[in-house]
Amino acid sequence: MFSQLVEKLPVGICVVNQDYEIHFLNDFFLDRMSSHWRNEYKGCQLADVFPEQVKFLKRRIKSVFVLRHPSFSYWEQRPHIFPFKSSRPITGEEMQMFQNMEIVPLTASDGERLACLILQDVTAQASYFIAQQDFSSALTREHEEQLKLIKKLDSAQSQLIQAEKMASTGQLAAGIAHEINNPIGFVSANLDTLKQYSFHLIQLCDALAEKLQTGSGELADFATETLNSYHYELLKEDMAPLVDESTEGLSRVRDIVENLKQFALEESGGWQLVNIHETAEQLIQLISAQYKTPVYKVQCEPENLQIFCDPGGMKQALTNIVMNAAQSIETKGFVKIDIKAGTQWVKIKIIDSGSGISQDNLKKVFDPFFTTKPEGMGQGLGLSVAYTAIEKHKGKISASSNPGRGTVFEIIVPLHAAEQQSAAC
Amino acid sequence: MNTVAPLNADQQDALQELLNISMGQAANSLAHLIETKIGISIPKIASVTPEQLFSIIAEESGAFYTRQSFLGDVQGEVMSVISQQGLSEVGALLEYDEPLSKNDVEEIILELSNILAGACLAGLAEQLELKTNLNMPTLFSPKRANFVELQWLNSLVMEVQFDIELSSFSMRVVFCLDDSSLNVLTETIDELLG
Repeated sequence: MFSQLVEKLPVGICVVNQDYEIHFLNDFFLDRMSSHWRNEYKGCQLADVFPEQVKFLKRRIKSVFVLRHPSFSYWEQRPHIFPFKSSRPITGEEMQMFQNMEIVPLTASDGERLACLILQDVTAQASYFIAQQDFSSALTREHEEQLKLIKKLDSAQSQLIQAEKMASTGQLAAGIAHEINNPIGFVSANLDTLKQYSFHLIQLCDALAEKLQTGSGELADFATETLNSYHYELLKEDMAPLVDESTEGLSRVRDIVENLKQFALEESGGWQLVNIHETAEQLIQLISAQYKTPVYKVQCEPENLQIFCDPGGMKQALTNIVMNAAQSIETKGFVKIDIKAGTQWVKIKIIDSGSGISQDNLKKVFDPFFTTKPEGMGQGLGLSVAYTAIEKHKGKISASSNPGRGTVFEIIVPLHAAEQQSAAC
Repeated sequence: MNTVAPLNADQQDALQELLNISMGQAANSLAHLIETKIGISIPKIASVTPEQLFSIIAEESGAFYTRQSFLGDVQGEVMSVISQQGLSEVGALLEYDEPLSKNDVEEIILELSNILAGACLAGLAEQLELKTNLNMPTLFSPKRANFVELQWLNSLVMEVQFDIELSSFSMRVVFCLDDSSLNVLTETIDELLG
């Protein structure tokens, strides 16, 4: 009965002696092996019956004989010791059987020492485990991607807030510019009249003084005394330049206001042709009003180059970079915008001779919230906003720097025809 | 390590002696199997809290860990700490082909744990005339947080270190007994002491 039981066990049983001769194989093994072995296996060498597995099996069997202690093998490290197929060759997925093996020491009734290989089919558990592992790694991957997305979203949101702030600042500036224009108009007109009046007044005073001083002594003395007491000569000399300087100052205010208006108002129109040369000039005028230290220069080849772009984004990108460049110059130096058009690309270089950026920081300049400015002086979004804006133009932005000598930002955007770009957007 | 509260001085001396003999036998078996010289440390016996057990087991870095339960007259778990260094030389002694794959490395670790833990336990059980069987080892990574949460308060641990002379390889085997097995052990030792 016991031998029948062992033959029918749902685990593989293989018994070998110390010379690696096979004593017994149960049906679990025989059903899965070539049929001729059923009557021939007894007394055969392990190496003849299982030539592929013999090296591994001998090693393990030896340790069982030496140590008189079981040896184990698991599907995770050695999934298919014997090349058996899993069950269901017709209806199921035909796959290699995953196996766990245990080799235990036995002693026969005649005292012969034996080793018994117990082979277990763990295909179901292994498949389940592998599927779970795949599922888990897919989940981990998805989780990582989501984290990246959340980070991107966070950055996009901050950029949006920044862009909105810039836009509202722009609108505010345009509104103020408009309001300033009215008083500038009448102050300017009045100043012109005042200039004329003062010229007439001086002529009047001159004529009167001349007449009086050529007359009788008392009146002449009075005239001279009065002119002196009011420092007439000084007034006369100063008045014209004062008025001229004021007129010139006013004209500069008018220019700045005009630039501001143009710079801020054009933003709402979506993608359009923009004179990038003019834009750069306007930008320089605006920034130079605030940062007076550097010498500014704009070079554009060809002159008055028109590119099809989103004026808002492009201007914001340029403003942020040029502003940083201007801020990096402490005592003296230059900021230059160099625009060059190729056949398919426009290259815009913003070069400064400022303090520069260290190699470590250079890698991070386009990261949102990265700033080297003192707390409260910057949010670290300027260059990240510029990066996003240039990305939207399907362009590239890069920075190189030599600490202590200066920095070059290079923007390359494709130079598409207006129709192509609008199709691309 | 703490002094061993559950054992009196005589019991501890006897257990120490039994361990010396059985661990020596284990080292001999392994040496015979892989045909190289094996060095062993003097086995240490202590009573530890879960956190102390973690400190005994955890290495700073560069180690693999396995655990294996044993059942029978005495029950408990044996944990093995295997150095990453020198593992490829041991792989060669166990007739593995270079270079070792991840599966090869894991198999070597499990096999080594099984051989040493099995030999030690068999030796000890034979000395004490107790029956116990070792189950298959599995890989694990000990975490302090998991150990702190363990339910027991104190456990008797026996620790021994094996070194292979040829390489920088070393391995520690730590046996932990549960409470009821500790009683069986002390009773058996008392019987031996007569």
